[in-house]
Amino acid sequence: MRSLEAFYESELMPDLVQLEDLRKTAKKRMVPVVVFAALFNLACLILLAKTGLPLNMMLIALCISAVPVFIWYAKYFKGYKDRFKDVIIPKIVAFIHPELKYEKNGMVPKTAFINSRLFAEHPDRYYGDDLVSGTLGRTAIQFSEIQVNRVERVRDHSAEAGSSRKTRTRVYPIFKGLFFAADFNKSFSGTTIVLPDKAEKLLGGMGQALQKLNVQKGELIKLEDPEFERLFVVYGQDQVEARYILSTSLMQRITAFQTRTQKEIRLSFSGNMLYVAIAFDRELFEPALMDSLLDFSRIKEYYDDMKLVIDIVDELNLNTRIWSKQ
Amino acid sequence: MVITAIVTAVAVLVVILLFNSLVRKKNQAITAFSTIDVLLKKRFDLIPNLIKAVQRYMQHEAGVLTDITAMRAKAVSGEMSDAETADLDRKATQVIGRIMVAAENYPDLKASQNFADLQASLNEVEEQISAARRAYNASVRDYNNALEMFPSNIVAALMHYRKRVFFEIAEQERANVDVGSLFAS
Repeated sequence: MRSLEAFYESELMPDLVQLEDLRKTAKKRMVPVVVFAALFNLACLILLAKTGLPLNMMLIALCISAVPVFIWYAKYFKGYKDRFKDVIIPKIVAFIHPELKYEKNGMVPKTAFINSRLFAEHPDRYYGDDLVSGTLGRTAIQFSEIQVNRVERVRDHSAEAGSSRKTRTRVYPIFKGLFFAADFNKSFSGTTIVLPDKAEKLLGGMGQALQKLNVQKGELIKLEDPEFERLFVVYGQDQVEARYILSTSLMQRITAFQTRTQKEIRLSFSGNMLYVAIAFDRELFEPALMDSLLDFSRIKEYYDDMKLVIDIVDELNLNTRIWSKQ
Repeated sequence: MVITAIVTAVAVLVVILLFNSLVRKKNQAITAFSTIDVLLKKRFDLIPNLIKAVQRYMQHEAGVLTDITAMRAKAVSGEMSDAETADLDRKATQVIGRIMVAAENYPDLKASQNFADLQASLNEVEEQISAARRAYNASVRDYNNALEMFPSNIVAALMHYRKRVFFEIAEQERANVDVGSLFAS
């Protein structure tokens, strides 16, 4: 297999050079937009202070200054971003594995997220992009970036009496990061969930007692691997089934994966599928605006983020089909 | 007077809670063992098919097939103590392992879909049995801990509870399989 460096030089470089021009233009055009917005808002603020008009009027000023930003986005940035996602990311995906397909606007369906039962809260708002899907060996996989929020309507105490707005919505994040779904190599009927172990790390034995009270996710399953138990807590409906899924070797593999990635990882085994949620704070697979595209370390970052997820198939040995499920 | 009554009531309550928790732990261990039992039977149910698939080829290894048939008969009869069940499981695992190794010598047998399916089913039951063993050992650990730890050890002594033994696997199984020697012939 070719090295990433060689691939970068021969396949990506020509496109990146073109894109770099688009990026530079977008960046250059952004400067007047930002300067205008800053000066305009400052001027309005001073004007309001002098005339003694209510501060709410600033909202209008903000709206006006947003117009050039939208125009800039539509005219310069969107085209650049789309080109990047149409050209560069698919090439990286194909480089990692020729069987994989990339869709910039696709996402892992909301039903998969709900079926995983990893998060108890209801996903009211579900967004995502950068879907990668395909079959690696005998395992069908898909993953995408997703962002899931819960929305709560709360009474608005600050609203004046008689005003029409009595409630306002408050948005709580549930999950942001990469969500991976794959066909699991063993068949099973219930749901087994592996979560990062926060309570036990902090409180030790007390934490374990608290985990036992968490009945909504199922029974607490205490496994034999001490390293795995230190990092994760497992809930399931069936003590034997959970151990059937989490064989001693799979526990070691999950531990190794966690140690290598150093991310917050949640796994769920439900409906013969494996779901993995890896939390990320930053946006993934987005083009840079301020820094040069012609930087190998940046391409390597896209590659590493993607490889991290795709490697789950090999690391968790999902292509071993020696059980009755083929 | 009131204080004495409260102390007595609390003491009685604690004893009741400890008693119930011990009973729960004991029953959980028993349930876990019966799961192993069920899965062992499931494995023995595959034996007739296995024999049917291999006996045409394995004329030289006929002894092994007789052994395993006898074991199945014993398992189906159903009158076995826990220790006997554990022992039978160990022996059956060894014999099935030997059959699988012997099958390597017969390319026709290995290539047949029927045998491949059977092998997959056996692998699956094997994996489930190992999971059930682990579940049993986990519940035994819980139970034994309660028997040794204060203050439940006092109640356990009053109840004449005894420590249960773990479901050990045979030494040969635990040793790493030398793949080279399997294919040397």
